[in-house]
Amino acid sequence: MMAATFKCQPTGLHGSGIDASAPRSSRNFGRFYSMRFACNTRCNTLRHVHAPLSISHDSSTESSLILIRHGESLWNEKNLFTGCCDVPLTQRGVEEAIEAGKRISFIPVDMIFTSALIRAQMTAMLAMTQHLQKKIPIIIHNENEEATTWTRVYSEKTTKQSIPVITAWELNERMYGELQGLNKQETAERYGKEKVHEWRRSFDIPPPKGESLEMCSKRAVSYFKDFIEPQLKSGKHVMVAAHGNSLRSIIMYLDRLTSQEVTTLELSTGVPLLYIYTEGKYMSRGSPVGSTEAGVYAYTQSLAVYRQQLDEMSP
Amino acid sequence: MAAEVYYQAIGIVQSHSHLNNFNRHQKHQSNIVRLVARDFVSCNGLSRRSTNRSGRRNCTVIRSLASQTSVVDPVLSPSRSNAGDSNKKSNEAALILIRHGESLWNEKNLFTGCVDVPLSKKGIDEAIEAGKRISSIPVDVIFTSALIRAQMTAMLAMTQHRRGKVPIILHNESERAKSWSQVFSEDTKKQSIPVIAAWQLNERMYGELQGLNKQETADRYGKEQVHEWRRSYDIPPPNGESLEMCAQRAVAYFRDQIEPQLLSGKNVMISAHGNSLRSIIMYLDKLTSQEVISLELSTGIPMLYIIKEGRFIRRGSPIRPSEAGVYAYTKRLALYKQKLDDMFQ
Repeated sequence: MMAATFKCQPTGLHGSGIDASAPRSSRNFGRFYSMRFACNTRCNTLRHVHAPLSISHDSSTESSLILIRHGESLWNEKNLFTGCCDVPLTQRGVEEAIEAGKRISFIPVDMIFTSALIRAQMTAMLAMTQHLQKKIPIIIHNENEEATTWTRVYSEKTTKQSIPVITAWELNERMYGELQGLNKQETAERYGKEKVHEWRRSFDIPPPKGESLEMCSKRAVSYFKDFIEPQLKSGKHVMVAAHGNSLRSIIMYLDRLTSQEVTTLELSTGVPLLYIYTEGKYMSRGSPVGSTEAGVYAYTQSLAVYRQQLDEMSP
Repeated sequence: MAAEVYYQAIGIVQSHSHLNNFNRHQKHQSNIVRLVARDFVSCNGLSRRSTNRSGRRNCTVIRSLASQTSVVDPVLSPSRSNAGDSNKKSNEAALILIRHGESLWNEKNLFTGCVDVPLSKKGIDEAIEAGKRISSIPVDVIFTSALIRAQMTAMLAMTQHRRGKVPIILHNESERAKSWSQVFSEDTKKQSIPVIAAWQLNERMYGELQGLNKQETADRYGKEQVHEWRRSYDIPPPNGESLEMCAQRAVAYFRDQIEPQLLSGKNVMISAHGNSLRSIIMYLDKLTSQEVISLELSTGIPMLYIIKEGRFIRRGSPIRPSEAGVYAYTKRLALYKQKLDDMFQ
């Protein structure tokens, strides 16, 4: 099943839409934003070349939020309903994660949130192997006293060079109840195609013993508001690696979508989405283009400056 | 078709990177582990991790078996017609041990211990490479530590596995976790490989050295003290574990949870860390504490044991499918591989 990209198309300086994304995601479903953006990065480079550069720019006004949906899992490949079964990535899913990592390699990341499922965690860790900044993700363990003690870091310097990774079941995929592990074709035969379609695409009808999208949204969005938003507010740049349903729930909140709109929202796997959080508002910035792909930058000035600094730092 | 398991008569010997056609018994006094070389066949690329400058060896230590008729290709032997043999779970099972590859702190030369640091690019490649080497060895259940680098290593390795069964990580941390991860299809369950994460298989906890630069630590505590913590059996770093303490919890877990699986005929893979794995090997090979402290395991190179009639028999390290060599499989493993070959023809 092909997922269309939910992508904001940056309009160029000359007003033409530029499809600056990966080959798979040329169609644009869902909401469409035409964005204005400051100017292309070359302007910023020239303008700021003499200004004092610092990695931690004026962070109280702007922070970036990256959303990544994990790539193909072994059950996706087999066409089985996965839900909260903890199934790992296929080789292709691994490649998608690395590819996603290349696309965000120059966007600052201070904290990472993932679900409790390995496919999202692996996606985050694989993506971060491509990141240009030298900080290192470290998974935080707070499940009990011993785990916290055992994972303690004893160097301030090392801690400063770390990106905490927080795993949360609230970011898990929607729980699919009695459909988990079932073949999609068989399920359609057993319950009827319409019924299955209804479970998959309605907002508030759960499969037997499972969650509706509404139920999934409730726990995902409240986690986002309680734990992730405060980080953004304080100027931290955040990456969230999660699943189709938990992410669209969050996007529903960020973009203020209706339940009707969210049920038709499809997120590409492995294609990261960028939001800028500024003054309490979320601006969708589309999908960062890979560093080797031509396109018009839709960066804010500060992101462009950050990127420039990284370019100068790397050999 | 390429052979996949071979016996390597290992030298943890200064000058050797690999040995060829040894037919004699060798004892190396200066090196701690006993070496027995018999029925040696070709050595191919395994020992590329020979001595590095610090004198540490990253070779696996392997004792080859005299009893195994490694020269005969079991797939072609007349006994192959006993196809039913491979189904007799009776008393033979495979045990694969994999030490994860390079982590992002290894790259930076920081003491890692139980800090949950992920793999570097190189570590990812190592895991996939390891997976290719074991792609034809049956796996029924996987045990990993609670740390992502071992879990990723296992999951990356299994993307290469030919049998096509799907690893599924079991969640028992809470009632909700358990019920949420339930599978509702018997067919699917049969095609699944349960993955169990256990902190008891974690790397040795390095206490107050965790996160410290190795050079700085040597400067702060003195090279000898650090060396002592790293290489002694029973002296822990401040607030950390000694190798003995690590061995205690790792081996206890192995005996309680893993060995019963093997004895019941299940093929097991363990993806863990340098110290937890050498502790287990200490138990499997009945090493002394003196021997275990100088045991070095290659990263990302899987080691194979066969459990037969309650005994653990080391079978060396499976080579990649594209490398030439002589079959050293047990009959059962060779039949399994043959079936896979047939499936994919």
